[in-house]
Amino acid sequence: MTASAPFWPAFWPPFWRGFRALLPLWPGMVPFAVAYAVTARAGGLSVWETQLMSATVFAGASQFAAAGQFVGGGLPTVAGALGLVATTFLLNARHVLYGLSLSRTLPLPWGQRLVAAQFLTDEAYGVTVVAGPRDPGGLSVAFLLGAELSLYAVWNASTLLGALAGAVLPDPQALGVGVIFPLAFLGLLVPLLVDRVTLLVALVSGVGAWLLGRALPGGLVILLAGVGGAALGAWITTRRAGSRA
Amino acid sequence: MSGWLVIGLMWAVTYPARLLGLSLGRLNLPPFWLAFLRFVPVSVFAALVVPDVLGSPEWARRIVGALAGGLLMWRSRNLALGILGGFAAYWAARLAGL
Repeated sequence: MTASAPFWPAFWPPFWRGFRALLPLWPGMVPFAVAYAVTARAGGLSVWETQLMSATVFAGASQFAAAGQFVGGGLPTVAGALGLVATTFLLNARHVLYGLSLSRTLPLPWGQRLVAAQFLTDEAYGVTVVAGPRDPGGLSVAFLLGAELSLYAVWNASTLLGALAGAVLPDPQALGVGVIFPLAFLGLLVPLLVDRVTLLVALVSGVGAWLLGRALPGGLVILLAGVGGAALGAWITTRRAGSRA
Repeated sequence: MSGWLVIGLMWAVTYPARLLGLSLGRLNLPPFWLAFLRFVPVSVFAALVVPDVLGSPEWARRIVGALAGGLLMWRSRNLALGILGGFAAYWAARLAGL
């Protein structure tokens, strides 16, 4: 889409294609959000506070970390709260990478950037960067927003469900739906493994993340392994290009 | 400390990280960093998949599911089919007592 093309008439078809592209991930999302809401409620957060965190922070791993802190003894002390905020910052710093990666191929004007930033997640980034360029209209802000809001809608609806009815729901984890997340990201990864360098990068960052994960929290692991793997790939390819020149 | 305030602070450290990346697209980057960004999806997806499979208490079943799902996605290039097939294989392994 060029800057002079009309924005709104072309918006909804790619928006709904982006929205639908996230549907395969919904079954993995629902129990995750329900479990977060049940944990947060058990820790003493009100229904409103539980929902507010999903509506604003909107980041699964750090919401879980926070809910666990509240369980630790009701509302945290000032020191506890600052630790929690620092953990949240570390867990979510990886989003800088997603934004950077997206903005190379999808430059957004200010207003759209302010909106798109609120709803950016691992999943929306993953599907957009892989399926977006294959969309009939190409990678567009409409497709990105559709993907983002698909997850936002199911995450917040499931949070509400868990916050209100958590105690009487059957445990969805017993159905093994937790395996859907790695399967979804595997599905995004497989088409990207096109040569020996990408295979090597995937292997190193995957195994590296597994080893790091024994000592560090998940979001930080993704950031470190993501940076490490991408730097390895960049080092190999630019060194090769340099020696050829 | 009040729940609302804690949530507000969590938001205040999450949103800027999301906005910062999206705002840096027009930077003129040297070739190394351009290549770096091209490799970000590969390394991030792998870092999301492997610990979730190998680090899970039910890792044996998840390996079966991931292998089946990965093969299906490699052959079909279809995300939904891969997830469904992988999930079915996971359940087959689970029912088989793995």
